[in-house]
Amino acid sequence: MSPRKLQIPVEHATFANGLRVVASPDRSAPFVTVGVYYQIGFRLEPRGRSGFAHLFEHMMFQGSENAGKMEHIRLVNSSGGLLNGTTNYDITNYFESVPSNALERVLWLEADRMRALKVDEENLRNQRDVVKEEVRVNVLNQPYGGFPWLDLPPVAFRNWPNAHNFYGDFADLDAATLADVQQFFRTYYAPNNAVLLMLGDLEPAEALAFARRYFEDIPRQPSPPRADVSEPPQTDERRGEVAEKLGPLPALAIGYTMPERETSDWYAAAILDRVLHGGRAGRVYRKLVLDEQMAVDVDGNADLLETNGPTQMVTRIFHKPEFTSEGTVAVFDEVIEELQHRGTAHDELEDVKVKFRSDYYSMLEGGMGSYMPRFGLMHYLACFTLFDGDPQRINTILDGFLSVTPDRIQSVAKKYLVPGNRAVLLRRPVNRGGAS
Amino acid sequence: MTSPSAPATSVSRHSSPPVLTPERPLAWPKRTTKTLANGLEVVLAESRTFPKISAQLYFRSGNAGVAYSAPGLAEMTATVVRTGTRSRSSRQIEEDLRRMGASLGTSAGADASAISVSGLAEFSSPLLELLADLARNASFPEGEFERERRQRYEELKVDRTTPSFLANERLRRVLFGAHPYAVVAPTEEQVAAFRREQLVEFYRDHYVPVGSLLLVVGDFSTDFMFDQVQKVFASWGGPKPEQPTSPAPPRQSGRRVHLVRMPGTVQAHVLVGNVAITRRDPDWYRLTLANSIYGGAFHSRLVLNIREQKGYTYSPGSSVHALSQQGYFTVRAAVRNDVVGATLAEIFYEMDRMRALRVTPGELESARQYLTGVFSLGVATQNGLLGQLSVVYLDVLSEDYLETYRERINALTADDVVTAARHHFDSANAQIVVVGDPVQIGDQAALFGPVTQYDSRGAVSVN
Repeated sequence: MSPRKLQIPVEHATFANGLRVVASPDRSAPFVTVGVYYQIGFRLEPRGRSGFAHLFEHMMFQGSENAGKMEHIRLVNSSGGLLNGTTNYDITNYFESVPSNALERVLWLEADRMRALKVDEENLRNQRDVVKEEVRVNVLNQPYGGFPWLDLPPVAFRNWPNAHNFYGDFADLDAATLADVQQFFRTYYAPNNAVLLMLGDLEPAEALAFARRYFEDIPRQPSPPRADVSEPPQTDERRGEVAEKLGPLPALAIGYTMPERETSDWYAAAILDRVLHGGRAGRVYRKLVLDEQMAVDVDGNADLLETNGPTQMVTRIFHKPEFTSEGTVAVFDEVIEELQHRGTAHDELEDVKVKFRSDYYSMLEGGMGSYMPRFGLMHYLACFTLFDGDPQRINTILDGFLSVTPDRIQSVAKKYLVPGNRAVLLRRPVNRGGAS
Repeated sequence: MTSPSAPATSVSRHSSPPVLTPERPLAWPKRTTKTLANGLEVVLAESRTFPKISAQLYFRSGNAGVAYSAPGLAEMTATVVRTGTRSRSSRQIEEDLRRMGASLGTSAGADASAISVSGLAEFSSPLLELLADLARNASFPEGEFERERRQRYEELKVDRTTPSFLANERLRRVLFGAHPYAVVAPTEEQVAAFRREQLVEFYRDHYVPVGSLLLVVGDFSTDFMFDQVQKVFASWGGPKPEQPTSPAPPRQSGRRVHLVRMPGTVQAHVLVGNVAITRRDPDWYRLTLANSIYGGAFHSRLVLNIREQKGYTYSPGSSVHALSQQGYFTVRAAVRNDVVGATLAEIFYEMDRMRALRVTPGELESARQYLTGVFSLGVATQNGLLGQLSVVYLDVLSEDYLETYRERINALTADDVVTAARHHFDSANAQIVVVGDPVQIGDQAALFGPVTQYDSRGAVSVN
């Protein structure tokens, strides 16, 4: 069988208030997925307010002008749908998957909370407590919690936006006030700092008309200040160590800072990442787990499509206790050196590209454990709109990745996979036996 | 400050949510079901939006069948299946997968073992061949077995430091007693004692076509796919495996507290449960509805109470678990240490409220909409569709289960919900597992029943 090229229909408009709107019809099932993405993430939160972007995300479920506490959740669930929100480096998103007869209702809800957040001290206290339990369950009371997404940035980066605790120090969470919440809302949660996405069982013209009805008169705000997220040049390898209080195995994270978005190096780096980390056929897993059998598990990735600032390709290694972490890094380095000296074989690169294409389709179709249809399509459309100004990239971006040559891979490996561009973090177990 | 206020622009369209328009009817894809001469049941469903296919091959033997002879043997076997066949090395398998843009998973739960693949539709024939090769010709290379066994050993050590794992392991022990569902994982010693021959034997006896199930969904035409399936699976054979019989789970009398000690932890993991029913039980629909109102959805009572009102926890919830022979109901919350007692009080208060009083018409309607809507989301992705098909065909539910789910749920009343809660939310005899620091949470937990303490390896501990 010959490959079928996927073509996603995309319509795009910008309202007078600056809101960008993207519609992508797919009538194969009677559901719509709706997302609102704001261009604010934990990288951009105010200094001295670590964790605020995420705490704020919780506040967006606490009530707006015409939909009080729990109403957003009740109205979506009782329409037969699911909802959630997440905070990322450069964006915060809110999204719903619902039967398509609830499209207008969901747009009304999202517009209501973009127009006017309505929360009080009690809501803030409540969600501060909830967020602390979230940090405990995901980080403090979990083996390898926060490894390495919370551990590595403070070692790898020097500029506070890239290098602070994204989940938030409890003291900073306690210091957050209702005035901070309203200020943050005014600054960042404006139509001109957002994109609305509507996907699935809809007619684009009708969906755009609904969007106009509910969003068009939300007032534009002054453009939010652009935080300086640039990093000073790095020359030497950076190292850090964190105690692992629960898990018995030593864990290593190795991060290389990646090329800037949309440069030709960036495309090559995305493929290079898959050469190294593409599952059990990837070079790092093969070397450390299968051949040398030093590691129990290895994986890695570079989330290049969904970040818009300094970002790393990160390898995570859980190694057996009888090997040293230094020795494990040394064998990892052999993998990197071999790639720099010999490059990739033609077949290897072609196979990696086939897998890249396949994974891209899977991401578009589901992408979040598949429980929300088209989550990945929504996510990439949002990133292409907010970061690159062009949602149509959803149909062309693969071409850039699939035309990467072996020479480009090798030269990017030589340029970026060097000690002076990396950070190594060790999570060292404090006990080897587990709980008493 | 003195300028006239702007005319009221907040017109009525903004002040209340739009009503729902009529629903567009949902059509589940047609399933084509055929049983090959060798006894393999094949179910095919087209899902053509994305150029991919996904296939799952299920064998109806899992860890329950070996729970008291070699716990975890089914899982260990599944793990090693992917590491070699008579004609392909481990490395060859992984490279073949990558060449087809494919992913492979092999696993075993309590009731079944499974090999799953998904990849680009343009490679559907070689992908099915690889699936058949793994199902028929796995070679269990000695070196790969040793490597995987060691990895499993190390993973188990990590599991035993994970509060949610320890809570689940203890609850299953308590609820299922002599029934094999009591065992969720082997000990490290049991893993170390596995021999390659045991895996080979399990594979020979249980990876057979008769009674097994192959599901394929994706971008293909059914006729073409059935021909492919026939081509690669028709010549396969083997005798039907014996299905062991299991003793009944114990009857619980009275609440008891089972405290798994993790000294010094900053949070307690609370898990409450009782034995309930399988999907084949006529009460299944009403229990599902009752669960969704109690704690099975974001807008449920438990979430509203202990998260949104009290802020005790981030991720509370309740679930109904349907294994093939038995089911069970659980309520979970990871909470800060000083509110363990308060959390348990609310968990039981909400259970008893469901048992005593009818839910409101609004709650009933919301829950019905939620369940039927979310159930139907499965149609929109290949993985979602596979998930729903595996429920129907593994549990041997009626062929029209997907099509009739909505009307069955919508026919339920507030009385059905009370009935389900009275039968299956067994607040008086529910078993309470708490994983955490005994000094900080022991006294609070003791308010709810006699306490037995365990260490993380399951040994009863006296202090």
